[in-house]
Amino acid sequence: MSPFGAAIAARILDEAEWRPEPVSGARLLVRALEREGVRHVFGYPGGAIMPVYDALPGSSLQHILVRHEQGAALAADAYGRVTGEPGVCLATSGPGATNLVTGIANAFMDSVPMVAITGQVASPLMGTDAFQEVDIFGITLPIVKHSFVVRRSADIPAVVAEAFALARGGRPGPVLIDLPKDMGVMVAGPAEPAARVELAPPVDGQALAQANALIAAARRPVLYVGGGVAIARAERSLRGFAERNGLPTVATLKGLGAIPTDHPLFLGMLGMHGSHAANIAVDECDLLICVGARFDDRATGKLDSFAPNARVIHLDRDPAEIGKLRRACVGVAGDIGAALDRLSARPDAVAWRERCGRNMRSTAPRYDAPGNGVYAPALLRDLSKAAGDRAIFTCDVGQHQMWVAQHCRFSRPQAHLTSAGLGTMGYGVPAGIGALLADPDATVITVTGDGSIMMNIQELATVRRYRLPLKILLLDNSQLGMVRQWQELFFAENFSEVDLSDNPDFAEVARAFGIEAFTIDHRDEVSGAIERLLRTEGPILCHVRIDSRENVWPLVPPNSSNVQMLERTW
Amino acid sequence: MSARVGIEFVPIEGALVRLLGLIERRGFEVRGVRMAERPCGRSATLSVDVSPRDPGRRLDVLEQQLRRLHGVQDITMPTAKAPA
Ligand SMILES: Cc1ncc(C[n+]2csc(CCOP(=O)(O)OP(=O)(O)O)c2C)c(N)n1
Repeated sequence: MSPFGAAIAARILDEAEWRPEPVSGARLLVRALEREGVRHVFGYPGGAIMPVYDALPGSSLQHILVRHEQGAALAADAYGRVTGEPGVCLATSGPGATNLVTGIANAFMDSVPMVAITGQVASPLMGTDAFQEVDIFGITLPIVKHSFVVRRSADIPAVVAEAFALARGGRPGPVLIDLPKDMGVMVAGPAEPAARVELAPPVDGQALAQANALIAAARRPVLYVGGGVAIARAERSLRGFAERNGLPTVATLKGLGAIPTDHPLFLGMLGMHGSHAANIAVDECDLLICVGARFDDRATGKLDSFAPNARVIHLDRDPAEIGKLRRACVGVAGDIGAALDRLSARPDAVAWRERCGRNMRSTAPRYDAPGNGVYAPALLRDLSKAAGDRAIFTCDVGQHQMWVAQHCRFSRPQAHLTSAGLGTMGYGVPAGIGALLADPDATVITVTGDGSIMMNIQELATVRRYRLPLKILLLDNSQLGMVRQWQELFFAENFSEVDLSDNPDFAEVARAFGIEAFTIDHRDEVSGAIERLLRTEGPILCHVRIDSRENVWPLVPPNSSNVQMLERTW
Repeated sequence: MSARVGIEFVPIEGALVRLLGLIERRGFEVRGVRMAERPCGRSATLSVDVSPRDPGRRLDVLEQQLRRLHGVQDITMPTAKAPA
């Protein structure tokens, strides 16, 4: 326990002469989770974590039994994104713990609050290569915000409180608690917790004044928005700032929805699969106001030629992001919403705004693809329109993920759950599970590919078990499409290990899991399919056969400037 | 050319590997390490000689990344040191 925690605990004990009844460490853990307001825990049992499973029945926690620990971590990730509170996942030691790793890394890369709890072999066995012992603390060091090994049962409440405070505070992220088996079994009188709250550094008034001066002087300003806005729940401040100052706005993959994607100031996603209008605006701007984004290479293309004529204002909750990849003329670290509310300079940018708007209209995506096959971008556009504002899209990774980003509309960032930083195939279905448990009234739609769905297909059993009304749209091109596209364009059509034409019949597979399913492959079936997907009350999978040669456009080739966009040919 | 970074931190479990691991992962070579035995219950001070693996690695960025680790209390940044 931190010295601070110990002092407070001692004070509470003195003041109330409180004599807690000794209970097992596992029960302390469960109580501590309850105290944090946790309602759902995603997990999978096994030897070292059995004391915790023993303490679960009778608690207020609903345990969601997944079919692979990666599913637990990814579902917890989505739960964290939707609620803003740490999602919790639970696994046993050894393989259970290592199976969590991808999900923990996913949460780390996208700054998602998560608490991962792993069983560990008993303390005296640690370091002896005992059965199912792995050093999960060591394995996850680079992908957690912090981690704990519980060394005294009595510390459990304090460790849990601190883990939650760290996971949700500041720039959120995953925190690991490794619980040796004896710590769960041992009986202890707990010391009560007192967790530290990570306060945002006060916003620097002088920096804000400098930022206002730069904005006032700009003639071609662009607002570049990332996932940090959603994390700070600062959408309203962002929108007010954009509208007050009339700023053409572009977003990263994670920033989509921070300003509604059909807002007149919004030019689209920037970067590798960004819109023409967004990439051109960034290239031509004289001031780039970066809010909660991190100049990720997928967004910037070749960094040296990114926004080449722009001065940069960078707002972020995490001071370590400011100036990390691109030097900022003005950096403002701290509470993004508070900073945005104090920025107002009304630049003279009418002509620029009109130019951006014209460019946006003249380069808007086309949906009149030749042929009778299903054109995925048009299907997604129509589905998103029909599903409305209560929809949450969870995506897998590949071409279909980019189509969702390009063609669906989002009026809030929590409506688009995507594995942005890590690009984890297999995210979609577990994320759908997490999203539905976090927001049961939402229409949750998972868009997946024939490659990605196989990475966590076992979670269809979880969907079925809890009767979650997940709507799964499987875009099947019989290929690892995104890799095939790159081989076509950058590896001289040397198609290597991307053919999936021996896929199983996915509708049959879904039905075998007890999930309603159907297949379409013609354009004239699309509207009926959308209707059926949205009308069906239980879980449903719509399997869509699409052209295996379809590509995602525009595309900025790797290591190129964002203005070197390759465009579709029809 | 290496630079000496001073790190004052709470010596909780894993703190040392976390600190040194971060320095290496963020693109710096660890050229030297010093840490005196600490009085019980006090914070510890680590001094690390680091050198960037390529010209793109900046010490000011490393400083911020170290500062955000839980338990890090202060960082002192270098006085440049002559090559060994
Ligand atoms: C776990 C994992 N393994 C490999 C990759 C590399 N990868 C990125 S996209 C992709 C193809 C995805 O295929 P599919 O799910 O069918 O989607 P499509 O691109 O065809 O829409 C691969 C293999 C990854 N992102 N994640």
